[in-house]
Amino acid sequence: MRMRFVGRDEGLLNMSSKREKQIPHPAKCAGIRDDKSGNTGILRCWPAPASSELTGCRHSRVSGFALVVKFALAVALLGSASAARAQKLQMPPHEKVVLKNGLTVLLLEKHSVPMVSVAGIVKAGGLADPAGQEGLASTTAGLLRKGTKTRTAQQFAGDIDFIGGTFEADAGADYSSFAAEFLSKDTVKGLELVSDAVLHATFPQAEVDKLLAQSVDGVKAAKDSARDVIFEYYQGYLYNGKGYGRPTGGDENSLKKIQRDAIAKFYDTYYTPGNTILAVAGDFNSAEMKKKIEEVFGGWPAKVAPPVKEEATGPMKGKKLLLVNKADATQTYFVIGNVGVSATDPDRVAIEVVNTVFGSRFTSMLNEALRVESGLTYGATSFFSLQKEPGPFAMFSFTRNETTGKAIDLTLEVLKNLHMNGLTAEQLSSAKSYLKGQFPPMIETSGQLARLIVRYEFLGLDDNEVNQFERRIDGVTGEMAKQAIARHFPLENLTFVLVGKSSEIAPMAKKYTEKQDAKEISAPGFWTGAK
Amino acid sequence: MKIRWDKRVPLLVLAAAMVCVYMASAQEYPVATKTLKNGMKILVQTDHSIPNVALYTFYKVGSRNERPGTTGLSHFFEHMMFNGAKKYGPGELDKAMETNGGSNNAYTTRNVTVYQDWFPRTALELIFDIESDRIRDLSFDPKKIESERGVVASERRSSVDGQNEGVLDEQLWATAFIAHPYQWPVVGWMSDIEHWTIEDLKHHFEMGYSPSNATMVIAGDVTPEEVFALAEKYLEPIPAHAPPLPVTTTEPAQLGERRLVVHKPAELPLLMIAYHVPQTNNPDFYALNVLRSILFQGESSRMYQRLVDKDQIALDVESESDNAFDPTLLLILAQPKQGVDPQACEKAIYEEVERLQTAPVADRELEKAKNFRLAEFYRQVRTINGRANTLGTYEVFFGDYRKLFDAAKNYSGVTKEDVQRVAKQYFGANNRTVATLLPESGEKGKP
Repeated sequence: MRMRFVGRDEGLLNMSSKREKQIPHPAKCAGIRDDKSGNTGILRCWPAPASSELTGCRHSRVSGFALVVKFALAVALLGSASAARAQKLQMPPHEKVVLKNGLTVLLLEKHSVPMVSVAGIVKAGGLADPAGQEGLASTTAGLLRKGTKTRTAQQFAGDIDFIGGTFEADAGADYSSFAAEFLSKDTVKGLELVSDAVLHATFPQAEVDKLLAQSVDGVKAAKDSARDVIFEYYQGYLYNGKGYGRPTGGDENSLKKIQRDAIAKFYDTYYTPGNTILAVAGDFNSAEMKKKIEEVFGGWPAKVAPPVKEEATGPMKGKKLLLVNKADATQTYFVIGNVGVSATDPDRVAIEVVNTVFGSRFTSMLNEALRVESGLTYGATSFFSLQKEPGPFAMFSFTRNETTGKAIDLTLEVLKNLHMNGLTAEQLSSAKSYLKGQFPPMIETSGQLARLIVRYEFLGLDDNEVNQFERRIDGVTGEMAKQAIARHFPLENLTFVLVGKSSEIAPMAKKYTEKQDAKEISAPGFWTGAK
Repeated sequence: MKIRWDKRVPLLVLAAAMVCVYMASAQEYPVATKTLKNGMKILVQTDHSIPNVALYTFYKVGSRNERPGTTGLSHFFEHMMFNGAKKYGPGELDKAMETNGGSNNAYTTRNVTVYQDWFPRTALELIFDIESDRIRDLSFDPKKIESERGVVASERRSSVDGQNEGVLDEQLWATAFIAHPYQWPVVGWMSDIEHWTIEDLKHHFEMGYSPSNATMVIAGDVTPEEVFALAEKYLEPIPAHAPPLPVTTTEPAQLGERRLVVHKPAELPLLMIAYHVPQTNNPDFYALNVLRSILFQGESSRMYQRLVDKDQIALDVESESDNAFDPTLLLILAQPKQGVDPQACEKAIYEEVERLQTAPVADRELEKAKNFRLAEFYRQVRTINGRANTLGTYEVFFGDYRKLFDAAKNYSGVTKEDVQRVAKQYFGANNRTVATLLPESGEKGKP
């Protein structure tokens, strides 16, 4: 939603808006303007432009689903074309250093513009929130810049703004993250600000109260837009309020239960050097940067953080449907899917190839059927949210109230066709070209690279994700695609979530599942699985 | 082949003028330009760092060139530009592009329609073939028109009906402008969406899509020589015709505050305030942007500090202003917190505006605003996509892409007096339109 959050995608991990993080790009492209680019626009929209800094679906605060998908496929080839530039495209060289206090530091030099990007991961996110206090990790991250031992929130804002820099922090389910960006001439100041927030946050009571009150209202404001919240409901309902089904940004109930003490304790427990990975990429000399980092982060006392317990959830059995009533809706938003795969699943490359054909690009089977052929919607898509443990797989679209049943039927039919017909040799080859051709702009900037290497480090992946990407994509055979379809594109066991005008769509929704649940959008929370 | 090389502009030298000591890794963004015989202008910015290309085509036609009854036509036409021409029939454009590793998008504004292609360099000639096909021989399949009508209606439901700020924004422009075509929404009124005809589309193509009305910008792993050769082969033979008629309507000066209220089911209220400001190429562009930085950019900005941090009456407050050929609006958007009367936000906003009008800004605030703009410049030019878009935007709205490289200098020239002057000149009560969305609960609309 353009109004509430002015942050740019660039330089952010999965932040920008807490409430927006679950939105895949297609929905977000509709008629959105971006102050940064000076474009007002109604967008034809589809695949979020590979490097969407300025235009296109720039509103796609990619994160949540879309972001992780991008990361996971991330692959690539840097370098250049033309005969003389025929060298293999590679992840730019980068260095890993572990400081004495246990902090892992990744350094990647990139001198194309005089800027420095920082991306950090603290290995505890929403999954570490105590039950009933969902949003604790996210609130803790949000407060890092809201008061330190030497700066008030206002002073911190003044200092980072003065150098034209950015600092943002938030939490996803797996981890908390922070990101900063500044001109390289301001490196000393920029690093000092990052370390001040991460090492010396003090959580003043007044700031805690302020942020929590804002977050509660933020949830309410998000509920004014179905597409801003449908994935909160979907994740909650799919995982029945457990694990990835808990809202990492919190809800109207859980946020009210968060106390300053719990925040301070979360910070004290998990924000330790050994539990943190810090990536710095951009216009600097690595040897000098190492020294500077040692200066500002070396004094962070070593301390052991307990690991966060994560439990893998397999696909859900059976069918169920949640209808969220939004009484003024003129169109229904719907998501259908099941639990998918993790970011390290051995089938991830084959899945990506299949999903390119099935639902991720403009000419995908879903978009062809629901948009191009029938005009039912502005967009239909499918995606896998690739996280540490199996995240959701989702098919998503929206259509006017009267055509809701038709659009859902068509979605299920396209899914059935995928199983019946598989991929043609032509589709397979086209998807491979598409993925390879669209990749390089995903690792074009220092901000993108910093976020990529820090995430690989967290997931235990290596540069082969990039260096071997083309080879891995090319290696996906028809048989592998067939197996990926059978294993990972569920046909029978499906969870449905619809957000729309119940009085018009409830009768139609009855035919899909025996188990049905209902909720008012204005009722507090998303889906906690309490029942 | 003649290639006109523009003077290479060392960006950092200009930037240095602004921040005094900054002379790090100086870099240049050389741009080669060529104007084809049919009047189409081509800009090429070579960058071999990734084997990819961003290609933007700007047409100077947007909803300002429309008429009542066919509002939204520019945007609908933009959709139809993907739905089939002579060589690449319906669906074939997207298929050919994606099969060759490319993707595309487009956007329409009140002023321009912009087409975007992102592709590996190996697809360069294919893209020229596709672009020339649809500029020369677009076809209109009645069946496609009907299905695309449904797509656009869905887009409107999603971006206007489904978003409170979409509803309010539309009402605001319709109230702030009484004469000029900026008054209608880019996506068009629903009743117009339902009634466009094939003749309307054909007329729009005739009117807006002469090659002489287009600027193409290519950034990435290409050379000017190869691009210009392809442009000569594929684009130059397309004949020019008359450009759109000038938009002659001038919005009369606003003589007093205008107010409007939208009642709809919502969790939270919403507030938008609009002031009439000059078109993009007006010299006050820079002072107004500095003013916006001081008021709205970052959490240390005056409005954030006042409304979000100190008074705690808003979740967010920000401003927007679009590039425009004609005098346009500067919008202020505030999301009041629950239980807060939007008028409390309004009052705080006016007090901050007044403070800017009555006392000069601090030196540090002015410098901060300029630093913001410098960092923004680098964020814009650090990708081939950003460079293609930004160069094209400056070329189209300022009449010269080199103005991009003058931006730092122009911002550094803004004084405290300039900021105070534009605050007084444009932010008067008579010049504003105030739109408020008040929540109703449930279908019956009970407050």
